[in-house]
Amino acid sequence: MNFRRFLLALTLFVALPFPTLFGAEEATAAESASAGESHHGDGHKEKHHGLPKTAPILFHGIGGDPESGKVGPLAVTNSMVVMLIVAAGIILVAQLATRKAKIIPGGLQNFVEWLVESLYGFFEGVLGAHMVKKTFWFFATIFIFILFSNWFGLLPGMGTVGWNVDSTGHVHEPLLRGVNADLNMTLAMAAIFMVLWMYWCLKEIGPGGVVGHIFAVKGHGSGFFGIFLVVVFICVGVIEIVSIGVRPVALTFRLYGNIFAGENMLESVMMMGGLYLGWLAVLPFYLLEVLVGLVQALVFALLTSVFTALMCEHHEEEHSH
Amino acid sequence: MQNLIILAAAGDAADKGPVAEIVKTFGVNWPLFISQCIAFLVLAFLLKKLAYKPVLEMLETRRKTIAESMENAEQIKAELAETQTERNKVLAEANQKAEQLIADAKEAAKQVGEAEGQKAVKQAEEIIRKAREATDADRDRMMSELKSEIGRLVVETTAKVSGKILTAEDQQRLIDETNRELAA
Repeated sequence: MNFRRFLLALTLFVALPFPTLFGAEEATAAESASAGESHHGDGHKEKHHGLPKTAPILFHGIGGDPESGKVGPLAVTNSMVVMLIVAAGIILVAQLATRKAKIIPGGLQNFVEWLVESLYGFFEGVLGAHMVKKTFWFFATIFIFILFSNWFGLLPGMGTVGWNVDSTGHVHEPLLRGVNADLNMTLAMAAIFMVLWMYWCLKEIGPGGVVGHIFAVKGHGSGFFGIFLVVVFICVGVIEIVSIGVRPVALTFRLYGNIFAGENMLESVMMMGGLYLGWLAVLPFYLLEVLVGLVQALVFALLTSVFTALMCEHHEEEHSH
Repeated sequence: MQNLIILAAAGDAADKGPVAEIVKTFGVNWPLFISQCIAFLVLAFLLKKLAYKPVLEMLETRRKTIAESMENAEQIKAELAETQTERNKVLAEANQKAEQLIADAKEAAKQVGEAEGQKAVKQAEEIIRKAREATDADRDRMMSELKSEIGRLVVETTAKVSGKILTAEDQQRLIDETNRELAA
C-alpha cells in the first residue's frame, strides 16, 4: 500500500509539469492567434493552428442569438455534445454491467466492480470509512467522468469534423471538442465541489467547527504570549481563507489548462510532422496525453477528496475517541 | 454575454476588469455553466443509482457470502477433524477390546487345555494303576494257584516215589518246602 502511494505521488510529480511545459508555448501562440477573434472565424486570416480557447456554440439556445453572440438557456457547445456522449456511454456501461448482476461476476460486471471497488478503497484511504460512505458518489463520478472525457477527447475526429472549414482545411466550428477543454465544464465541477464541500463541512463539524478549523485554534496562552497566539491564529485563518478561495480557481484552470494545452500540443506536433509523418511525430505525445488524462482525473479527484478530508477528519478523530 | 458572481463582485467595471477579461477569453457564461452543472449532477445521480449502489451492495453480498462459505468450510473442516479423531478413538478402542478378547480366549483355552490334560493324565494314571492292580491280583492268584498245584504235585510225586502214605504233617512240610523253593 505504501509503495503504491509512493508510486502515485511520483507519477504526479513527474507527469504534472510536462503538459504545462509543452503547452505554454502553444498557449501563447494560440493567444496571439485568437486575440480579437469571434466565433465566426472572420479573425482567422493569419496562419492559425490550435484550438480556440472557447468552445464554439453550436446552438445558441432559447432566446439566444448567433449574430450578437447572446447565449440563452439550453445552448449547446461542441464540448457539451461530447460530454453528453461520454455521460451516456458511462451510464450505458453501468446499466449493462449491473442490470444482470450475479454473485459470480463475469466480463463487464467484473470490470465495473473492479473499478468501483478500487476507487472505493482509494477514497476510503483518503477520507476514512465514515466520510467515504457519504461522499463516494461525488468523487467516483469526478474521477470516472474526467478520465473518460479526457480519453474520449483523444479519439480521432475531435476538432477535425465540423463546420466552417477554411482554405487550409482547418475546422473552425468542430462538432466535437474535449469536454475539459471548456472552462464552463471544469468550473462547473469545481463549483459543485465547493458547494458540496461547504455542505459536508457544515454537516460534519458545524459552523463553529469550520471557523475553529480555519483559524486553527489549538492551544491557549497567557499574557503577551496569548495575544501573540491570537494574532498568529488570525493570520493563519486569513491565509487559510485565501487558500480555500483559490481552490476552485486552481481546480478549474489546472484541468482546463492541461487538457486544452494537450489538445493544442497534439495538433501542433501533428502539423510539424507534415502530411505523411504527422502520425509518427504525434505518437509519443499521444501516449503522454493518455497518461495526462489519467493523472489529471486522479489529481482532481485526489485534491477534492483531500480538501474534504482535511476539513472533516478532525470530527472523525473525535468520533473515534 | 452574462457574467459570473465573482464578476458581479468586481463591480460595474464588468467589461474592463481582469476577471471579466478571463471570463470573456474562456467563454464562460451562465447558461452553459448551469447546464453543465446540471448535466454533471444528473450523471453523478444516475451513476450513484445505477453503478455505485448496486455494485457496492453486490460486493458486500459477495463478501458476506464468501465469509459465510469460509466459516462453513472451517466448521466442516473442524467437524471432519473431530469425526476423524472420534473414528480413530473408536477404532483404537475396538482394537484394544478385540485384543483383550483374544487374550482372554487364549487364556481360557489354555486353562481349559491344562485342566483337560491334567484330567487325562489323572485318568491315564488311574487306568494304569487299576491295570497294575488287576495284573498284580491275577499274578497273586495264579501264584497261589500254582503254589497249591505244585505243592499237591510234589506231595503226590513224593508219595508215589517213596510209596508211603504221607502224613498230614509231612504233606504240610513238603508244601512249605516247595513254596520256599518257588519263592526263591
